[in-house]
Amino acid sequence: MKEGRGKNALLSGRKGFNLRWRGSMRNYWVVLAVVLFIFISIPLCTIVVKLFSSPGPYWDHLSETRLPLYFYHTILLLLGVGGLTVVIGVVTAWWVSTFEFPGRKIFEWLLILPLSIPTYIMAYAYTGLVDSTGTLTRWSEGIFGVAPSGRWVDLMNLPGAIFILSMSLFPYVYLITRASFARQFSNFYDAAAVLGKSHTTIFFRIGLPLARPAIAAGTALAGMEVLNDYGAVQYLGVPTFTTGIFSAWFSLGDITTAIYLAAILMAFVFLLITAESWQRRHRKYTGEESHHHFHRIQPRRSQKALMTTVCGIIAALSFGLPLVQLLYWAGLTASSVLEIEFLGLVLSSFLLAGGAGIGVALVAIVFLYAVRTARRPFLSTIARWATMGYAIPGAIIAVGLLVPLLAVDRMLIDLSQGSWGLVLTGGFFALMYAYIVRFLAVGYNPIESGFKKVGTQVNEAARTLGANSLQVLWSIDLPLIRASLASSVLFVFVDVLKELPLTLILRPFNFDTLATRAFDLATNEMIAESAIPALVIITTGFVPILLLNHLIGHRNE
Amino acid sequence: MNKSDHILQLKGVSKQYRSENTPALNAVDLNIYRGELMALVGASGSGKTTMLRLIAGLEQPDSGRILLDGQLLSDGSFHQKTKKRSVGLVFQQYALFPHLSVLQNVMFGLKPSGREKKRRALQLLEQVGLDSNPRKFPHQLSGGQQQRVALARAMAAEPKVLLLDEPFSHLDTALKDQVRADIRAIIKEQGMTAIFVTHDTRDALSTADRIAILKSGRLQQIGTPRQLYQQPVNSYVATFFGRQNRLPIREGERGFSTPFGPLSAETAATLHQVEGALFFRPEDVALCSDDLSALRGRVGLIQYKGRHQSLLLHSPAEGPDIQIDVHAHHEIALGDEVSFQFIDKAGSFEKQE
Repeated sequence: MKEGRGKNALLSGRKGFNLRWRGSMRNYWVVLAVVLFIFISIPLCTIVVKLFSSPGPYWDHLSETRLPLYFYHTILLLLGVGGLTVVIGVVTAWWVSTFEFPGRKIFEWLLILPLSIPTYIMAYAYTGLVDSTGTLTRWSEGIFGVAPSGRWVDLMNLPGAIFILSMSLFPYVYLITRASFARQFSNFYDAAAVLGKSHTTIFFRIGLPLARPAIAAGTALAGMEVLNDYGAVQYLGVPTFTTGIFSAWFSLGDITTAIYLAAILMAFVFLLITAESWQRRHRKYTGEESHHHFHRIQPRRSQKALMTTVCGIIAALSFGLPLVQLLYWAGLTASSVLEIEFLGLVLSSFLLAGGAGIGVALVAIVFLYAVRTARRPFLSTIARWATMGYAIPGAIIAVGLLVPLLAVDRMLIDLSQGSWGLVLTGGFFALMYAYIVRFLAVGYNPIESGFKKVGTQVNEAARTLGANSLQVLWSIDLPLIRASLASSVLFVFVDVLKELPLTLILRPFNFDTLATRAFDLATNEMIAESAIPALVIITTGFVPILLLNHLIGHRNE
Repeated sequence: MNKSDHILQLKGVSKQYRSENTPALNAVDLNIYRGELMALVGASGSGKTTMLRLIAGLEQPDSGRILLDGQLLSDGSFHQKTKKRSVGLVFQQYALFPHLSVLQNVMFGLKPSGREKKRRALQLLEQVGLDSNPRKFPHQLSGGQQQRVALARAMAAEPKVLLLDEPFSHLDTALKDQVRADIRAIIKEQGMTAIFVTHDTRDALSTADRIAILKSGRLQQIGTPRQLYQQPVNSYVATFFGRQNRLPIREGERGFSTPFGPLSAETAATLHQVEGALFFRPEDVALCSDDLSALRGRVGLIQYKGRHQSLLLHSPAEGPDIQIDVHAHHEIALGDEVSFQFIDKAGSFEKQE
């Protein structure tokens, strides 16, 4: 056996050597991957390089007046949203995956749906809900005959922002934690129950510690969204680093100051990533899949009532009420919004998102093919770094890209003596570029898992039959991973559709997506009109979410 | 033994999962003696794991009663919670808590607190023969070591019955014999009553005091390994423990005739016959020199197995093929005609299903 293995290694070693250095196609994949990696890392490099140049003209003023506020708001938002999403996400995940209570099956997916509502739309909906003439007032008057004069609660402040962001982001924690419970928990639950422990003991001593990496991962994702958010905090009047970047760039035209702010924001991101991976240290074990079906525990009747009520309230607050508000507005404004021009807006948004989806898939395939065919460790590292864009707020990518692209554009204008316009920054190139940087991970992961499932054997079999790697890709690998490919494009599509800060900075003049239209309308006191574009974004978002719920987090039943 | 020696009793226990059409367990009666090591065997889906989970209280029976030491654990309506039962369970994948050290895993189920708890846990780990640092984490141990920890953890609370789910399925074949002997020794030393589930007949034959064999949720036979192997009550039990040959016979003037030749009345009497056929295992015959009393067959297939070789024999007349196991040193070629005879005291067969 040992001898056989050695021989195999020798064989594949020699074959690998030949293919590595003489197989011409393989080198193209590697070269292409390296070139793409360089392009993808440009935005971040810009930030780092620009930090060493002197700050912009407004930096001193801003650092004295606004910077402390940015810090204060950003840190408290992170802590507040982090805390609230963990409590809501973990408790609901624990209940839904372990107990049987009325409505459990519905809550299982209902609690994910808030993910389809982007933070800024959540903010618009809530201002409408609690407004003195809003939905809650009308309901209250309709049912009880009275309603408070003025707003129900003031959400245009830091606690309001924490609440609204948490309502939109807790499903990250819920989803990942639930999957962790479902994957490894039932075995351990039974083992602990046989040893005579109660639910509560099992939750705190086994469930929580085992799910800790999942909880941290979910919270980190929510945190990244907090740092990325511009629309909600801008609307609610809670200035953070993102809003700072925007005002530096749009109001003051001072890109260096914007980059300084971006650098500080980037430090927060690294802090988040480090914290997440620090708490994962020493965790080599992976959970075993459970093999038999787990019987959900039947709690006492009072406990069941509590679970149903709490889950119901959370579902209403995070999804039901905002949706009702948006639908109400949509009904009011349908006649004025739904014109032929709106169809054009939907179409151009979809085209842009679809194009980005395909672009991301192509880039992801290049990286994965380079990794698969060359099998050299540095390529995996490159691929890992290239997919870091998801952690980087859109505003940072946008300014980091804008600086070098503007420089190239100016150079081109000089060279052409003014006959060329802004070639790179004036059209869709910059936007596409930025989408690929930011959403590469979103599209990369499904394709990677698709390739993993297929394995390398069919690929190698095709190659021994004389096909080159392009032929293999086209006729063997792509057809085999078409489901993963489709979900990759779909995930990116939906993310691009709701993306706001990056699109706002890089969109061509007078071009709108559904997201920027909703944002523009809302900030221009036409919040009711923003409901229909918002609803299109939300409904499109359902598809991948329900798909995701189907794919992960189900116990064997 | 009298009735009070039964520590665990299952009376007419049935269980059907909602998602399936046939019951997982169908009116099973089973009594376990105090201090006994019982093996539950059956193919996958025969209900053996379900039985374990019912005893542990991880599932509820639809009907029937389960009693432990005379106390009711479950019936159709009453169900004592798992945590209140005095039952230990060693999971197939061990289910060691990955975030707790070996010592903490064993201490998890222990009642006393403080130093006493730790002392008892260390003592248990010594008793199961763990040759590793108890401060290590489960993933740092080998499979065999993990199993010992799981055993110690299950025994910690001194359960009245210890259940083991496929305890040997994760081990290398080379290790198995040793581990079987070790586990049996540990359980016997502790004076535990234990039930283990296995699909491997060799586990059951070599380790258990008694074996219960299940098929499609029904109990087929309970008995010592020797009884089940030599006196199977039906053809399912017979073939479950290995190949069983069926040889049709016709009564003649001086004994019997078979498709492979004549058989003396004396030899036939040592074999069990049912409805005009004899039943025997491949190892019940041996090759012999060609004489009038020998049976003859032509070799259709040879499988060399190292210790012996299996021959598939075609009969000269019409009839089914039989398989015989003979010494590996016989040089036999495909198509050879061989002579064989029954060795003394072959297996018998009492009843066919």
